[in-house]
Amino acid sequence: MGLAARYLEEKGFSTVVLTQTPDFNRLVGIPRSAAVEYPYGRILGAVGDQAGQRAVLLSALNVLQTAKKPGEVQHLAYTWPEDSKNADWQPPEMSPLIKHYLEEIKRARKEQKR
Amino acid sequence: MKQDQKIVDGFRFLPPGLKAWIQTFIANGPVYGAIPWAPLKRPLNQTVFALLTSAGISLKSDPPFDMEREKKEPTWGDRSYRALPRNISEKDIDVRHLHINTRYIKEDINVMLPLARMAELENEGLIGRLAATAYSFYGFQWQNTEFLQEAIEPISRKMKQEAVEAVVLTPA
Repeated sequence: MGLAARYLEEKGFSTVVLTQTPDFNRLVGIPRSAAVEYPYGRILGAVGDQAGQRAVLLSALNVLQTAKKPGEVQHLAYTWPEDSKNADWQPPEMSPLIKHYLEEIKRARKEQKR
Repeated sequence: MKQDQKIVDGFRFLPPGLKAWIQTFIANGPVYGAIPWAPLKRPLNQTVFALLTSAGISLKSDPPFDMEREKKEPTWGDRSYRALPRNISEKDIDVRHLHINTRYIKEDINVMLPLARMAELENEGLIGRLAATAYSFYGFQWQNTEFLQEAIEPISRKMKQEAVEAVVLTPA
């Protein structure tokens, strides 16, 4: 998504990316990011939570207006109400990519534990 | 504002193995060059907006994003895009994505593509206007930038045609 933002910005559009994982900014160089600690697939908020979705959206628009320099990330203060283990954001079936790289993923986990 | 005090944990929702694996890419990958920059030309209440998501949303009347090929080729992701009229709701859409639970988007499209919320801000005069068309592509583009030419380039042309000035991007 960061690459799409860069592309659009080069074409003259002002962009803001709402993101759960602002760490990717190191690799991509995203013009403006609003980071929010919400589960994947519900970046604006919970189903039916109109007030919460509106608040996140207004915060993203605020970043568009207030960011001063390329690559700026503003961290939003919202807190997801559920424990991360209960967020149930993952697909019903393990993704083909994860299946494909499962051994590598397990190895990365082991190495991090050391 | 208090918002400046929180630092988002970008890995809070990931299982430990996936977190460790992704962190290896971020730590070892090349760092970007110069960042393009096109600041807003007008205040929000005079600006024309469009929404763009990578959630794999399509109209029920259009072909869905292709998940079958990805199941056979795990590093391939559909590089096409879909135009979505601004007045649609969850009852009009299909959602295909093999890396998230798509259930919530099908229950309330605004959790990823906040069309109704933007329409409210437009009615209240907080934004200038929401363009007639929003867009989705499919966010799983593994080490591949061809989607920029195949999806984002035509999207950007359509946005220009609709006088869009600013874009809110929502990754799945």
